[in-house]
Amino acid sequence: MLSKSAAKAFFLGGTAITLAVFLSLTWDTFQQIPGRTNAAALTDQVKRGKHLGEDNNCMGCHTLFGEGAYYAPELTKVYERRGPVFIRSQLKDPEAMFPGQRKMTNYHFTDDEVEALVAFFEWAGKVDLNGFPAKPTLGAPAQVLVAAAPSAQRPQVFSQICVTCHALGGLGGTVGPALDGVGTRLDAAYLEKWLKDPGAVKPGTKMPKLPLDDAQLGELVTFLSSQKTLKEVAQ
Amino acid sequence: MKFQSQKVAWGFFATCMLLLSLQVIYGFIMGFAHAGYDGLHSVIPFNAARATHTNLLVMWLLAGFMGAAYWIIPDECDRELAWPKLAWVQLVALVVTGVTAIIGFHLNWWEGRKFLEIPRPLDFLVVIDVLLFIGNIGWTVWKSPKKSTTSMVLFFGLLAAALLYLPGMIPTDNQTVDSYWRWWVVHLWVEGVWELIMGAILSYLLIKLTGVDREIIEKWLYVIVGFTFLSGILGTGHHYYYIGTPRYWLMVGGVFSALEPLAFLGMAIYAFTMAKKGGRTHPNRVALLWTVGCAFMSFVGAGFLGFAHTLPQVNLYTHGTLVTAMHGHMAFWGAYAMLVLAIISYTLPLMTGRKVYEHASAGFAFWTSNIGMTAMTLAFAVAGVSQVVLERRAGMDFLTVQKEIEVHFVGLILAACLFTVGIGTFVWNFIRYGLPNAPLKAGGERVVTPPPDVSPGVPAVARS
Repeated sequence: MLSKSAAKAFFLGGTAITLAVFLSLTWDTFQQIPGRTNAAALTDQVKRGKHLGEDNNCMGCHTLFGEGAYYAPELTKVYERRGPVFIRSQLKDPEAMFPGQRKMTNYHFTDDEVEALVAFFEWAGKVDLNGFPAKPTLGAPAQVLVAAAPSAQRPQVFSQICVTCHALGGLGGTVGPALDGVGTRLDAAYLEKWLKDPGAVKPGTKMPKLPLDDAQLGELVTFLSSQKTLKEVAQ
Repeated sequence: MKFQSQKVAWGFFATCMLLLSLQVIYGFIMGFAHAGYDGLHSVIPFNAARATHTNLLVMWLLAGFMGAAYWIIPDECDRELAWPKLAWVQLVALVVTGVTAIIGFHLNWWEGRKFLEIPRPLDFLVVIDVLLFIGNIGWTVWKSPKKSTTSMVLFFGLLAAALLYLPGMIPTDNQTVDSYWRWWVVHLWVEGVWELIMGAILSYLLIKLTGVDREIIEKWLYVIVGFTFLSGILGTGHHYYYIGTPRYWLMVGGVFSALEPLAFLGMAIYAFTMAKKGGRTHPNRVALLWTVGCAFMSFVGAGFLGFAHTLPQVNLYTHGTLVTAMHGHMAFWGAYAMLVLAIISYTLPLMTGRKVYEHASAGFAFWTSNIGMTAMTLAFAVAGVSQVVLERRAGMDFLTVQKEIEVHFVGLILAACLFTVGIGTFVWNFIRYGLPNAPLKAGGERVVTPPPDVSPGVPAVARS
């Protein structure tokens, strides 16, 4: 039967070996981190963004690289998913985009601070995370079957901002109404007027006035007008 | 209680009770916010509640470990604590630092790094405080001719925990490096050296409560902490899957995390076997219940649920979802919260001379809190798995999914109410025990506990 001294030797020996392996792997990891994280792109602005995120405990609600709390969305790919326009708007006035929904604190960031955070998110999105976050595999086939328009034709501003609240083809937010067939219900002139200033058309609406330029507005009106109901498409 | 200086443990345990109660309240704030009732948002935003909830946990567990050490070390070393007054100073300093940090969180003063939110200047105070503690304990061990395995494992566990706080203070501008060092603190604490502390405290309790021979218990203590380090050190790799570190961590972390349940399984089998082997019935059955319960629940929460969540191919989807909260709650409860409640249950009657453990409410507190925590874990599991399927697998929008799973947080709140009844009863019993100033019965300790190195099976009465 195992003696106490043998048990002690097992403890000390096992610990020493695994510790040695762990320290070697740590050394190697630190050789690889600069390349994998694109450390050359760590500008002063990006660094400032990181520290701003810490000073205001973003991870207390959000996750970044999957780490943090689970109250607010993952931020690793937020630059790609929502784009800088949305991020700026969200940081400046967190409740504009999701009226009456889950709340985010307004930290009253200055314009420089907002740009630093945007730069940090852009950097974070490019770090090699071994495939995290994974693409949703179950959703892809459904999207192909249902979507009225192939996503390739969607303007970028639609994929980044509109889907935050509105769904099309079953995918997107549920804050506002779904946009399937919106081109049948509303004409281009109304859509343009609406997008320019929703509050002017319907006072008290929850939809915010979006920071769109003329080109983006044009793209959106064209795209939304093309969303006809199946019945109209058949005719 | 053999030595007067052991009384300082009571101060630490009372702190535990206070901080645990506060932690539960902050848990409710977050539960309600997740269920859609965020009325406190403007006063206590979610990130403040979250930082407070987790830091209170860390703080009361550390206070519990310190209290346990101040009780166990004099007993094991057979001498008074080196500097009893310094221990009180150290307790007050710990509380002041902790309260300052918590107030700071509500004023947006923190370092937003999960579990290590305490602002940097206060980090240094924590380090000084822990050094005072280690010094006090260390000097007591050093001056004693008797160096038992239990006291040495406990001391080195605490020393390593103190040293491992330091990597978390290395400044960096790179998020990946930041995360890398942060897990040296968090992971190597909870799945490394804290298990050393846990093993030592469990050993002490089993020696006292079961009467099984010290040599046997301490031999298995070595085996268990051996497995802990063998799996736990390289198991850190499960935090290095998706943070910008090399791909080989998927393999290393996956394999060694899969071995981690072994240490907890060992701990559970060990506690059950020793409890069965004990030839003697210690009157404090509730303390034994918490001790064995701790070993069992830590296997389920930390071992089994941890294993289920750390396989790389599963973790790719569950990483950063409520599944982590499911595992975290039962793991911390089973491994560390129950451990501290076990040592409190064991020491209070000895400190105060009262036998509240004979009252039915002591058992009620154990069962209610455990059933409550199990139900909470299930609620988190349903919410977490739903989130993974809808958001990560099917690609639904984050906020839409959060609305879908709000109802599970209503379930969570109900389960938490049950848990709170259990904890409330425990705290109420703590208060009923009163202050540790009751006159000591001559040899009061020895009536219920055998002196070390007495062979098992001898009835306590026969010896006294």
